[in-house]
Amino acid sequence: MPVTFTFGEMLSARSVIGTTLAELGDEHENLWVLTPDIGATLVEFRDKFPERFLDVGLAEQVCVGIAAGLAYDGNIPVVSGMLPFLSMRALEQVRSDVCYPNLPVKIIGTHGGLVGNGGSTHYAVEDLALMCALTNMTVTSVGDPLMVGEVIRQSMSMEGPIYIRLAVGKKDKVLYEPGQHEVRIGKGIVAREGTDATIFTHGTVVAQALDAADELAKDGRSVRVVDMFTLKPIDEELIAQCAAETGGRFVVLEDHLAYGGLASRIADVVADRGIHLSAFERLGIPQVYAGFGEDEELRDKHGYGLAATVAAARSVIAGGQ
Amino acid sequence: MGETTLPERENPRTVAELEDLAFELRSKLLHLCGTYEGAVHIGGDLSAADILTALFEYGLHVDPTDLRNPERDRFVLSKGHAAVCMYIAMSIRGFFSYEGIVDTYGQLDSAYGMHPCKVQLPGVECSTGSLGHGLPIAVGMALSARGRGESHRVVCLLGDGETGEGSVWEAAMAARSNELGNLVAFVDRNRQLMTSFAEERVVFEPYPDKWAAFGWNVVRVDGHDMGQLVEAIDALPGTDSDRPTVVICETVKGKGVDFMEHNLAWHAGSLGAADLERAMAALEASRQKESV
Repeated sequence: MPVTFTFGEMLSARSVIGTTLAELGDEHENLWVLTPDIGATLVEFRDKFPERFLDVGLAEQVCVGIAAGLAYDGNIPVVSGMLPFLSMRALEQVRSDVCYPNLPVKIIGTHGGLVGNGGSTHYAVEDLALMCALTNMTVTSVGDPLMVGEVIRQSMSMEGPIYIRLAVGKKDKVLYEPGQHEVRIGKGIVAREGTDATIFTHGTVVAQALDAADELAKDGRSVRVVDMFTLKPIDEELIAQCAAETGGRFVVLEDHLAYGGLASRIADVVADRGIHLSAFERLGIPQVYAGFGEDEELRDKHGYGLAATVAAARSVIAGGQ
Repeated sequence: MGETTLPERENPRTVAELEDLAFELRSKLLHLCGTYEGAVHIGGDLSAADILTALFEYGLHVDPTDLRNPERDRFVLSKGHAAVCMYIAMSIRGFFSYEGIVDTYGQLDSAYGMHPCKVQLPGVECSTGSLGHGLPIAVGMALSARGRGESHRVVCLLGDGETGEGSVWEAAMAARSNELGNLVAFVDRNRQLMTSFAEERVVFEPYPDKWAAFGWNVVRVDGHDMGQLVEAIDALPGTDSDRPTVVICETVKGKGVDFMEHNLAWHAGSLGAADLERAMAALEASRQKESV
């Protein structure tokens, strides 16, 4: 019996991971799920397929290395855990054991960005820069909990590795009515139409970008919001289209270092393709270790909260006129 | 090794034949080292030469004419810098031609380079080079075999120096925790790192006790004594057993070439024509001495 959710409802992306993997375990007899001691998300799979579930304990490097060994033997391994550790402690295993031979290992994790109030050891804020640098790696960052299941499902047919970044994953707002948008890895989603400027964003702050667009609509501004949930390969055509259709006025908002993530990916496309922009603002984490606090408070403190997003959009609209 | 339906060799190699093949492997290694101008990890190649001969000519259940046979034993070279020793051992077994290796080694577009790459050379089981990565991959392969109910072995060759990497011990723990009796590690215990003799900078001893403490079966052999290597392979527990086995092979870096043995200068290097002649003479002398 499928469980349905509706727009605006709060839903756990973590439970979507577990239920999706449990379903996929039936369809794919070679699907394995591995975790370095973050197994609570995966109980549905673990209970249904204990022989294809492996919790290695606190050992991210061997978790990724074992996944590579399973993949060499024709399996589809999913590694699930906390991204600050999977993206950095196991970075070399991800690069050399998985990406180098282009194995179909899926890395799905939580704690992308300044979420969870764990302090800077527990924030994945450099992860997208690191993952985007890796040859063969597909990089995604998903804000809508329902999309998580769709992205995982689509990734099953991919030959190479994929990185799927979530926020804390315990309580996430359903951003899109189910079926409202086509979700396709490699293609951005126009979450809100607009003509005065485009806010490109991903992951947990898509909701904030949509709120900013609502604010700006109150004073007659029409701001487009693009959920660029695939950072690599990036949807170059959509970037070019948005430049043409929204006056070359771009804001990039992301819960990641302001340099090295989506803003840098978009800046590369703009430079490489000679796209003319009239204004470009990037909103993200400056070069600081962010400290403690709720994610919304931290975003305000570090200059990329809702008020800053609204101000940046106003600025590019003014600058681009 | 393993209870598979791969064709058995009609006449398994004798110890004497294996010794001859190990000599051939060393000779070919030196020849390559004498004709290639770049660095060859000759010290660690020579220390592993007997182990790799014992594996590819006796221990591993593989078929060079059927590379992807699902019943084959899997071999993971964790000490990836011994790639050329593995390539040549595999060529002697019939996987590749030696000429193909020696004529192209390290050159643009060659399949044969300093560290093995599965994408460029599909005949090897995996890409390695960064140390401490092979055993975790081998654990994954052994788990996969268990999951499919297959009875082949997964064999991993490590250098002792690389067991300074924490990921090796993560893998040792995972292998025991998952009762992977189908996994065998051979350690080339040559007691030399790149820039020091092992126990000078890093205390590895009591080395066998460390593996035993992680729950592994521990076997110790002279890694240059073919009889002991064969005996260790013959005595491996069945692949359905619940403990992984480590065969700690006491070896000498540079083994067989007197001026390379116990010499930090020969971790890696190349031999000119004159030194190649000297090395070949030393190898021959070493063989004469050991056959007495």
